[in-house]
Amino acid sequence: MITTFVKLTAARLLAAIPILLVVSTLLFCVLRLLPVDPAAMSLPPNATIVEIEAKRREMGLDRPLPEQYLIWLSGALHGDFGQSIQFRRQAGSLVAATLPATIQLALGGIVLAGILGVGGGLLLFRLRGTIFEPVADLASILLLSIPEFLWGLILLFVFGVVLHVLPFTGAVAAGLPLPPHITGFLLLDSLLIGRLDIFTSACEHLILPAVALGLAFSPTIMRVLRSSLFDVYHEEYIQQARLRGVSERKILLGHALKNASLPTLTLAGVQFGILFGGTLLVEVIYSYPGMGNLMVDAVRNVDLPLIQAIGLTYCVVVLLINTVVDGFYAVLNPKLRVR
Amino acid sequence: MDGPVARSLRSPRVVIALGMILGIACCAVFAGFIAPHHPGDQNLLAILTPPAWDAGGDRNYPLGTDSLGRCVLSRLIYGARTALLVAFFAALGAMLIGSILAHISGYFGGAIDWIIGRMVDVWMSFPPVIFSLILMVGLGLGIGKVILAIILVDWTRFCRVLRSEVLVVTRHDYVAAARLLGFSHWQTIVREVLPATLPLLITLVSLEMAIAVVVEAILSFVGLGVGADQPAWGQMIADARQYVYQSPWNLALPIMAIFLTVTAFNLLGDGLRRTLDVRLAEVGR
Repeated sequence: MITTFVKLTAARLLAAIPILLVVSTLLFCVLRLLPVDPAAMSLPPNATIVEIEAKRREMGLDRPLPEQYLIWLSGALHGDFGQSIQFRRQAGSLVAATLPATIQLALGGIVLAGILGVGGGLLLFRLRGTIFEPVADLASILLLSIPEFLWGLILLFVFGVVLHVLPFTGAVAAGLPLPPHITGFLLLDSLLIGRLDIFTSACEHLILPAVALGLAFSPTIMRVLRSSLFDVYHEEYIQQARLRGVSERKILLGHALKNASLPTLTLAGVQFGILFGGTLLVEVIYSYPGMGNLMVDAVRNVDLPLIQAIGLTYCVVVLLINTVVDGFYAVLNPKLRVR
Repeated sequence: MDGPVARSLRSPRVVIALGMILGIACCAVFAGFIAPHHPGDQNLLAILTPPAWDAGGDRNYPLGTDSLGRCVLSRLIYGARTALLVAFFAALGAMLIGSILAHISGYFGGAIDWIIGRMVDVWMSFPPVIFSLILMVGLGLGIGKVILAIILVDWTRFCRVLRSEVLVVTRHDYVAAARLLGFSHWQTIVREVLPATLPLLITLVSLEMAIAVVVEAILSFVGLGVGADQPAWGQMIADARQYVYQSPWNLALPIMAIFLTVTAFNLLGDGLRRTLDVRLAEVGR
């Protein structure tokens, strides 16, 4: 089972390489066609023409475009994306410093989306045939139409501003020190150094952004679970179980849910990839110090090396998530396992 | 069996959604008559005024003013114009590119299908928000640029879904019959395949409009949207986010405007899907 997973995942990873190459070419071209001069931007405004020319040569900007691309690509493969223009630090190290916060947020979001999605899907299914069905159905469509951007703002407004129960700016309370960089994950690091106060504060700050992501991505899971449950209930073994006197509750949770979970899990995996891109907005709304905020910062300042580094990182993570999900799907699906 | 239009208009979802959209469109079209002020007029003596019904409110500014003393109601009304313009043209553009490529891809198959399919793969590996931000860096600010960025990102939504539908339709006997009758490929696609994929296409346009409204709000929110001189709901939110405690209404109102618009387009899409899709309409779900 594990070898199947490894084999399949490796095959998918190989298939992802050409996609990644095209994506990196696109990224490079779109940003290099801009009418801005990275060399002039990375020098103080009073630099002379000669200095700018020297910088251009140093950055390799005087060479032909394909050669520049190859230089950039070989650097990127080693994690060297060049120096950020506004921060004057390695773009790669800036990404590495903010990526854990984004991963933490995305994981929180997908866990909540799963819990809300499965709970809501079971509820929707239990309401079938009752007078509440059309109401629940309409509610699930309304929920489906609210994206993470709006959820983030609505939750910020209700729980942060009006009710005043949860913090909505940053990753920890303003007075608290940030724990030393051990794993990069704030929740883990604060526990490792035994600072429960930082841990609690970090949890509180994570709640609203993660719930916003969870709420935005749960309705799809909800609706797919409900329709797969409908499909499963047409199978004969459900009728069989009913004839044997198995309780409805046990049929739903013991038999049907297990078989309906496969399409739901696949979908949750696909959703995870999309959700990862959605973290950007939630981070901006809550000033959460992750990769999304860094990206918006870089975009506002036309910081090309940083934009390229972050753009590529997002793509790599999304492709990785999709690959691993495909591998899991193959392992979980008995029909694909036999071969 | 009556026509699809009559059938759609009997669905309460479609009627309610169309009513809402009509209301918002009226605000957009007649903004100049409805809005009490010019959206850019600043009154620095009356900044962050609460709405008229709150203590300290001013009847001149029914929904209060923002941090530069601009009338919130007028900006909301003019913001509807921006949102609907973007929604309409972006959805139309994405639909044109996406559905043309989908029909070519699904109808001809083979190498061209493969190429278009791989293009969609590459596009989909980019998270849409990241992609549109990068495009906005390259394109610059402005309402036309926002529309272009949305088209360039979202054509894949149409292409991916429509292609599989075209694939199914193309296998039907009547398409082969049309070819045998001497129809050219172009005639076959337009007269035989397109009518069958049209219901799905219309539904997708409606859903894409909802997406475009949100994307425009997002881009304006991060300051890479239509530009500062054009009122947009996303800008209003970004401005209000800094003064949430002084004037929470300034944050709540544009959120409500976006919510209503997005819900209207999604409700319309859902209603159309139920009434236009023959298979779904028969099941009654």
